[in-house]
Amino acid sequence: MNVKVSRRWLIYLAAAGPGLIAAAAGNDAGGIVTYSSAGAQFIYRTLFLMVLITVAYVIVQEMVARLATYTGKGLAALIREEFDLRLTAFAITAFAIANLGLMVTEFGGIATSFELFNVSRYISVPIAAVAIWSLVLFGSYRYAERIFLLLTVVFIAYPIAAVLAHPNWHQVAVNTVWPHFEASKSFLLLAVALIGTTITPYIQLYEAGAVVDKGVKPENYHFQRVDAITGAVLAALVAMSIIVATGATIGGTGPLTSATTAAEGLKPVAGAFATTLFGLGLLGASALAAAVVPLSTSYAVAEAIGVERSVSSSFRQAPVFLGIFTFQILVGAAVVLVPGNLITLILNTQVLEGVITPVTLILILVLANRRSLLGSAANGPVARWLGGLAIVSVAAVAGVYVVLTVLSWFGLG
Amino acid sequence: MATPPSTSAPSRSRLIPVRSRDAERPPHQRRRRTRRILASEGVFDSIVSLAGLLGRPVRNQTGQEIGRLDDVVARWADGAMYPPVSGLVIRVGRRLAFVPASAVDRIGHTEVVLRSARLDLRDVVRRSGEVLLAKDVLDHQLVDVEGVQVIRAADLYLAEVIGRIRLVGADVSNATLLRRLGPRRWRPRPTPDRVIDWAAIQPFTDAAKDVSGAATTVRLKTTNEGLHRLRPGELADLLEDLRRDERRELLAALGPAEAADALEEMQPEDLEQLLRESDPVEAGRLVAAMEPDEAVDALRDLPLAVRGEVLRHIPAVTALALRELLGYEENEAGGIMTTALVTAKSGDKVKKVVDRLSEARAHGADLDAVAVVDDDGRLLGDVSVLDILLALRASTDTRMSALLGDEDVVTVNPHTSANEAAAQLVEARRHSMVVVDDDGCPLGRILADDVLDALVPTKGRFHFPRLLS
Repeated sequence: MNVKVSRRWLIYLAAAGPGLIAAAAGNDAGGIVTYSSAGAQFIYRTLFLMVLITVAYVIVQEMVARLATYTGKGLAALIREEFDLRLTAFAITAFAIANLGLMVTEFGGIATSFELFNVSRYISVPIAAVAIWSLVLFGSYRYAERIFLLLTVVFIAYPIAAVLAHPNWHQVAVNTVWPHFEASKSFLLLAVALIGTTITPYIQLYEAGAVVDKGVKPENYHFQRVDAITGAVLAALVAMSIIVATGATIGGTGPLTSATTAAEGLKPVAGAFATTLFGLGLLGASALAAAVVPLSTSYAVAEAIGVERSVSSSFRQAPVFLGIFTFQILVGAAVVLVPGNLITLILNTQVLEGVITPVTLILILVLANRRSLLGSAANGPVARWLGGLAIVSVAAVAGVYVVLTVLSWFGLG
Repeated sequence: MATPPSTSAPSRSRLIPVRSRDAERPPHQRRRRTRRILASEGVFDSIVSLAGLLGRPVRNQTGQEIGRLDDVVARWADGAMYPPVSGLVIRVGRRLAFVPASAVDRIGHTEVVLRSARLDLRDVVRRSGEVLLAKDVLDHQLVDVEGVQVIRAADLYLAEVIGRIRLVGADVSNATLLRRLGPRRWRPRPTPDRVIDWAAIQPFTDAAKDVSGAATTVRLKTTNEGLHRLRPGELADLLEDLRRDERRELLAALGPAEAADALEEMQPEDLEQLLRESDPVEAGRLVAAMEPDEAVDALRDLPLAVRGEVLRHIPAVTALALRELLGYEENEAGGIMTTALVTAKSGDKVKKVVDRLSEARAHGADLDAVAVVDDDGRLLGDVSVLDILLALRASTDTRMSALLGDEDVVTVNPHTSANEAAAQLVEARRHSMVVVDDDGCPLGRILADDVLDALVPTKGRFHFPRLLS
């Protein structure tokens, strides 16, 4: 390898990260529970759907990375600058609601993982809420972040588990490649949840923010594109391996209702330690996201109303930030403390994500289409159609679900 | 959504409810007042809200509606304090048309009336030096030079001044955002709660792109004079809050020397981002203009590939010195020292040394003393600048050897830990000390403030952590 090429790769490594980390962060509590549930309920039958979701996810992540690289701005700032103020307010509100849902998910994940170790949620959740709040605000967050990230490495066990579980590979292959859907309401519900948990709005805002923070220049965009696409594909592969692993072990047992059942997906690789492994991974993923999600809401709101200033100033000078941040943790923790099935709660919040996702996606598509914003880097005709098709499909699934739900309220469903 | 009170923009008009924090500011921050347009009552009564005007009917003299207002074009290439409106963009049916300001009779709160009954509509052509106020300025980042903050304009106010309609102020209050979200009939009502006079604003022009989206090559030189009165730390705050293109423009407006001073005050992670996103040539120019010790800190934070790229664009001599400093660890004396060091031979006359000091004036803050060396370049002693100046007053012929005291000079090895170096400096009760290599030749100097930086833990100032990075 000559010097010039190796230097190019060093620049790539410098740009790498956002996409990969976004992918890792994407497989949060909601993801693990939803994918496990997909395997438990439909065995391998959701795999083809996951392929489609992956395509949409890759397209979206690439557009987001491109927008951030070429404009040097976060998504919220771009939305404020490029769209009508009312639309901005709508999009940011939708985003905040989606993130609030995610907070419920993450605290649900924390509570679930502690319950696996026989710790009541009334003890674990309040402590976790206070711990995350103070970790983020008082410094040692950087170390905590690394520990959480390390814990999520546990989920690398899933691809191994998927192999060791000896799934019926012929069925897996057919279900992945052969287009098929099921015309049942439970399949639609799970489809919306799968979309919501894979293409979560916050991952898009996170990706844009991280690319901007990295100071990626348009000249180096091709590296960033590689990063965004590999990240998205890897995330999808892990997701599909979770489906295969759970499908092979607990497939056909119906919708997931308990974490202990979900943990069985790891049995082929961890045996008796499956529950411990699953609990630790779930805890890491949830805690990581529980710290990042409220931050991303705060950043987005600050960017949109134009008080970026308060982000970097002192504690007392950032009441908006502090307020939004604290509020989200409080609500997330409080909802989880309401008695009920945690796994079902997590699945339902993923459906909420799936319903809100199209709002952000449509705005991203419109922005990436704008030549006045991106110049020659704007979507070409192919990307326009492909992106449009992907996002319209996602929106259609969510739309059909919403219509059916509303109809069922009136007893028509 | 409540606004953080601290970020409230000091309003500049005596008529506008003032929520100024000026009284709390240290005296040097209470800025010189210039006569401001918004301060005159007549103007204030007649200001028109841009947000309220957009989408309103444009009529001809007979009151017939020709189209709807789509945007307002202002010209700020001429360096006018209040940019004049040069025309309107009107939506006629599905088409956009340009109407020059000369054809406008009156701009009211809810309508625009044109001068003639007949109108020849021209196609909209973006001329250089012109901006679309709704598209390029409203909701975009601006710098409030007097309040030293980055704002997003929630509304822009127009008024007739000196015979022309001009842009006179930017509104930054959240009440205005709510007004724009509310029903349409609320919108034309100006809510000048926190208005910043346009004279105090540094706008940006990055959005001035031609239709194809490529940035126009014309750089508009409308630098607000007030920018140059800001302290480096204040400029650093502004740079941290701006986005890439705006930041680049602000840096260009400042010039390398002033920009480098500001960079030295930035938070490390923001500075890292700034250098990574800059063109390597530009980054090299900025880093070269920084004090060597600060430059090294900045380079150290960069990934190797980017660091090499930047170093390649720094003049060879400076780059060599920086590479040498980079060889030391961050927590070693060599890592915190500055190489901006003035040395003199013991036989040199003070006159010559003072000349050399004045050549090194650019490093003003880093000049505390002069290292005196023998013919082999080994350190003999350290003479404070004050002693040299006093000696010069007595006689220009005094030689440096005469100024060397009896006491041993305080030195450290570059690989001494920063903590130990600090302890030595404290013990010696001096403002700085010389770093020498194993042969006793001076390499650089550690100043009291470098030691402070190394000792004071970075906490104390609260930061929301960046998202994962």
